[in-house]
Amino acid sequence: MLANAPRLMLVGRRLVQFVPVIVLATFVVFGLLKLVPGDLAATLAGEYATEERIAQIRESYGLNDPFLVQYGRWLWNAMQLDLSRSFQSNEPVLEQIMHRFPTTMLLVVGALLVSLVVGVPLGILAATNAGSRLDVAVTSLSSFGVALPNFWLAMILVATFSLSWGWFPATGAVRFGADPAGAIWHAVLPSIALAAGGIAEVVRQLRSALIEILSSQYVRTLYAKGLSPSAILWKHGLKNVAVTLLTVIGLLASRLLGGAVVIEAVFAIPGMGSMVVRAAIVKDFPVVQGVVFTMVILVIAINLMIDLLYTIVDPRVALK
Amino acid sequence: MNAPIKLPSGRIDRRTFLALTGAAAMAGGEAKAQKRGGTLRLSAQSNPSSLDPQTGNSGSDHVILYPLYDSLVEWDYTTLQAKPGLAEKWAYPDPSTLVLTIRDGVTFHDGTKLDGAAVRYNLMRAMSHERSNIKSDLGTVAEITASGQTVTLKLKQPDSALPLILSDRAGMMSSPKAMEEHGRDYDRRAVGTGAMKLVSWADNERVVMVKNDSYWKKDRPLQDGMVFQIIPELPTGLRSVTAGQNDLVYYLVPQQKQLIDRARTLGSAVGPSLLCVQAYFNYGRAPLDNVKVRQALNYAVDREEFNKATHGGIAETTSTILPRAHWACATEYSGTFTYDPDRARKLLAEGGHPNGIDILGVGYAEQLQVQQQEVLIEQMRKAGIRLRWERYTGPPTPAAFFAEKKGDILLAPWTGRPDPSLTYQLVFGTGSYFNAGRGEGAPGLTEALLATRASDDLTVRKEAFRKLQKIVTENALHLPLLFRPELTAYSAKVKGYKPNLLGKPKFEDVWLEG
Repeated sequence: MLANAPRLMLVGRRLVQFVPVIVLATFVVFGLLKLVPGDLAATLAGEYATEERIAQIRESYGLNDPFLVQYGRWLWNAMQLDLSRSFQSNEPVLEQIMHRFPTTMLLVVGALLVSLVVGVPLGILAATNAGSRLDVAVTSLSSFGVALPNFWLAMILVATFSLSWGWFPATGAVRFGADPAGAIWHAVLPSIALAAGGIAEVVRQLRSALIEILSSQYVRTLYAKGLSPSAILWKHGLKNVAVTLLTVIGLLASRLLGGAVVIEAVFAIPGMGSMVVRAAIVKDFPVVQGVVFTMVILVIAINLMIDLLYTIVDPRVALK
Repeated sequence: MNAPIKLPSGRIDRRTFLALTGAAAMAGGEAKAQKRGGTLRLSAQSNPSSLDPQTGNSGSDHVILYPLYDSLVEWDYTTLQAKPGLAEKWAYPDPSTLVLTIRDGVTFHDGTKLDGAAVRYNLMRAMSHERSNIKSDLGTVAEITASGQTVTLKLKQPDSALPLILSDRAGMMSSPKAMEEHGRDYDRRAVGTGAMKLVSWADNERVVMVKNDSYWKKDRPLQDGMVFQIIPELPTGLRSVTAGQNDLVYYLVPQQKQLIDRARTLGSAVGPSLLCVQAYFNYGRAPLDNVKVRQALNYAVDREEFNKATHGGIAETTSTILPRAHWACATEYSGTFTYDPDRARKLLAEGGHPNGIDILGVGYAEQLQVQQQEVLIEQMRKAGIRLRWERYTGPPTPAAFFAEKKGDILLAPWTGRPDPSLTYQLVFGTGSYFNAGRGEGAPGLTEALLATRASDDLTVRKEAFRKLQKIVTENALHLPLLFRPELTAYSAKVKGYKPNLLGKPKFEDVWLEG
């Protein structure tokens, strides 16, 4: 059963942790934005600024209030799921996030899938042929993958698959709900570009964990008992690296969320990453805070899910 | 079929521009070749600040506003001289009265009629609404009355700049009914009389428009719809056109010209623009309150080298705030400040700085801007000017200089206004936001500014601008460098595109082949 007492306690603990994490994260971001030089009211007034208009903006957005009052007001509203309105567009921030969230998630999930589909077989190949030329080739490739800047890879992919061959679109995104096939087609190149580092990470972690397990005493015993190498790998080896793999997936998901910012810019994808970058440049506090709020919830949810999966793969984890 | 208009890679001067836009006009004028239909897909660098012309605050909004709104007055692409728009004619019965005759039979996108009362409503709102950003544009208007299709503006003082001011935001007419109905949400609604009707605006994503079937201009619009895809990164925008996902991208930087030329499938147009890359001075305090220092800065810059290093040599270098092709440009001052580091040193010494001077500049942190700043550091160093930069990202940059009064100079573009008097007023006028010192930059400047609006005779106005420019140049009130050309790239199916002198693209004559 998924909902047993230890697991419920785990969920409860995570939810309690959520409150201080979200307050701390949003407070720090709010403070950092305040430290960024530049007058927000003058920025909002734009090219048609006058002293009078700047003063009016400062008053109407409550920018004359002390820092803590401004933060407290935002937090109070956020607790009631009112993420306020964008200073720039006057659109409700929650609506904007909900609009862009699926696009970013498609990108992240796509990159995660690519990382696993490519990384797991390569990791197994390298581990089962440890020390061979194949192993050297795979580990060298994965080192290259870690060092590869994903924006550079993105440019190469666009130049080749979009501009030269015309197989995939060079820019933009389609909403999954409106056209699932079109959305996936648009997400292929960005997902591959975003996944480059992820593939390398999966290969390296899986390889080292699997080598450790395959060289352990109980595996030697299994060989001695006459089990075939494939049975040992599939029944015992991979089962025991599942926890490592889950940890990698959890870390990777958080990292891909951050990496999406760059990829969204290169492919002009209207996702949460590009939204928060633009908002940070013009000091649109409500949007930045709203995205940080969402990201924190997302990362905590991912971690919670990974923790729950640990307990399924290895029930001893929940008991601890 | 017309081939894309390929313009030379060299600098655009008045003669070249007139010849080129003439050729483009001929291409656009081949009515038989024009085709109707299709959706024009454009890559736009900036999300609109608002689709309400009166509350928007960014010069880049205009390109998206033009298809949605007609203005009372329009301007000629090559000269920027006023011509009839929604106002089929206008007259000054006396210097303090402007009478507009509004075109009959025009309706807003919501079906309501454009008449004198609607125009009055719009102008009154522009002058008084708390969120209006263009109150100062109509600052000389004392009273507005409307009767039928006639609107009368009583002025506080003679103001011949008004017709061209009414070709800008102030003259873009919105439906009074829609403004009443939507309140603040009108920012995102846009109900004008333009060739295109707004379908949707997804913030920072796209603006979708469909053709206005009851448009009043004969044979327009040529497209069934327009989609502005918001793509902030210009290289990405250009790639979207190369890949065929968009048809046209505008506001490209000169460094991208080579890329366009190499892509055999793309056409391009380079036109002059009013966008003046310049350093604004804070002459309200030391050290730039000293005219000798300001002149020294102007002589310390090699504009031609600056042009080659930062704009591929295709821009028009200048010592004035108007390009040579503009009707009001006093061309005798366009080349006043030639590169002369020795003279700059001498001027510094005369100004009390024999050992050179430290200047703090405020500038953008973007790569191309930093390159310009580095070139200036190197050039000014030779004249004993030790320039260093404090950098900001995006819109907070001008705010740091104009509102927070940081730095001595600001390197930033001035995007221009249809009427030149507004440009001079905003950049140099006493109390203007863009005059960081807020004071009068030179004796006689205010009177000279007023004189540019006193007569509606173009010859008289031209002479007034010459006198005004003389004061600005002699007192070196800024450091103009060059006019950034308006570079547009488009796919082979785009026909009839013409650049304009304002440098804000319009697409009314564009049609799609195939």
